Amino acid sequence: MARIACFVERYNFSDPKESRALENFRRVAHEKGHTFDFMFREGISEIPKYDAVFIRATTDPLFTAYVVSKTAWELGLKVIDDPESIQICGNKIHLYDLFKKYDVPHIPTLFLSKDEIHHKRFLEIFENLGKPVVIKAPYTSFSRYVEKVACESSFRDVAKRYFRKSDLLAVQTFMPTAFDWRVGVLNRQVLYVCKYMIPKGRWKHGCKRRGKPTFIWGRTFSLRRENAPLALKETALKACDIIGKGLYGVDIKEIDGKYVVVEVNDNPSIYAGYEDYRNRDLYGKIIDYLAD
Amino acid sequence: MKPSAFLKSSIKDFTLNLNTDYRYLKTGYYVSMHAEVLGNPVIPSTESIIDASRTPILLLKASKAGIPTLPYLMTSSVKQITTQFAFPVVVFAVNPFSYEGYKTAGNRSALYRAVKSLSMNYKFAVCIQPLKGEMLSFKSIFGKCEHVGEIARISENVYKTFKIPMCKLHVQTIEGKAFLCGLQPLRSEEVFQSDLETVSTEIVLLSNKGEHLVG
Repeated sequence: MARIACFVERYNFSDPKESRALENFRRVAHEKGHTFDFMFREGISEIPKYDAVFIRATTDPLFTAYVVSKTAWELGLKVIDDPESIQICGNKIHLYDLFKKYDVPHIPTLFLSKDEIHHKRFLEIFENLGKPVVIKAPYTSFSRYVEKVACESSFRDVAKRYFRKSDLLAVQTFMPTAFDWRVGVLNRQVLYVCKYMIPKGRWKHGCKRRGKPTFIWGRTFSLRRENAPLALKETALKACDIIGKGLYGVDIKEIDGKYVVVEVNDNPSIYAGYEDYRNRDLYGKIIDYLAD
Repeated sequence: MKPSAFLKSSIKDFTLNLNTDYRYLKTGYYVSMHAEVLGNPVIPSTESIIDASRTPILLLKASKAGIPTLPYLMTSSVKQITTQFAFPVVVFAVNPFSYEGYKTAGNRSALYRAVKSLSMNYKFAVCIQPLKGEMLSFKSIFGKCEHVGEIARISENVYKTFKIPMCKLHVQTIEGKAFLCGLQPLRSEEVFQSDLETVSTEIVLLSNKGEHLVG
């Protein structure tokens, strides 16, 4: 029997689908004879009482979730997401630098530093990557801090905004597709496969409504992992191999029959009725990994 | 070599990343990150950069390395702090944006103000430690500092554990004993000529390992 702590923040319970998924984790853990407690920020000092920590709050090296992960790791506990995965996946510059080194097929990407904000560099970027280009802040998640620009003045505006927090940005070729593949990977094995649809008239899975604070999300279609294309699964596993053995959500675009990795995310979303729809065993597999 | 040139290079050699500001997402961080991706031994490592700036992890790793530390609590709840610690307390930010270091609180209202400010309006947690003695802040350049005895030993051991070449350390002295409380980046105006001399001495020693100095 393992004692599992699930680190969450209040917002994890604001979406009923996510809340239901968290309940599913708890139910499956109990069925397997483990204890499964939700741990909030105030309970961090109780980490040593547990055997494993499962982080569901948004991870980033700047957030409390990283401190939880690192503390658990230092104490020798099993942890999803481990601190190294948070460090790599939480910074897209780190991720793309590794993709380049290990030849993982990915969207053509350039890095831009603060001292490269000048006309000549913009011309070079548009010449190399085409128009429009996508500017990505290293700390992007949930489709935020990713913007498409087609001219120098918007490029300057967006870059200036993102440079407030980071000294480097990623600039990528714009590759529109009807959907992005999402492959869930755990311990170097495919856990689930989904299609994240792009809402009509938009170019990314989650988009802000113009002039409103709300987001619209594209639909999610789940596939049995056995039925997903082999090349897709191989590409996802290759991308995860360079990061670690944890739980990842790999975003992949299919262009002319070829698969290119958009990014690898640690702490992938798991919503009841979406990611788990055709792969109901994902809860059990994650619990087994934590309790092992 | 300038950081911008190093970031575009693919030099494979021992890398000494010399910067006053190693905060996450800043150039100092990216230099170490790029060196690690290239497979180079690098001082400091990205792991140390992140861990040293998060006070709870700094204290956890420091105590594992035998450096004296005080009990701490990480939270953003004032109620939880007051049930576990008596006043006065020291409050450290657990976010990498703040240069401010720490705040001390002798009563409940001061604690509310400190937590609100250092947690960036409760967005991040803070790290609380008891204040039983005197707080002391000083520069540590390659583990060397202006103090002697226990404080100097803490400075040396923090460098051995985290390998942050230039930083500011916060230490609490209680009845002649010293305890590590926090670490923060140096401002460039805090670096004097005498510090640069220490830096150049250390560079000569480290240059036996390789040639590439970035800063």
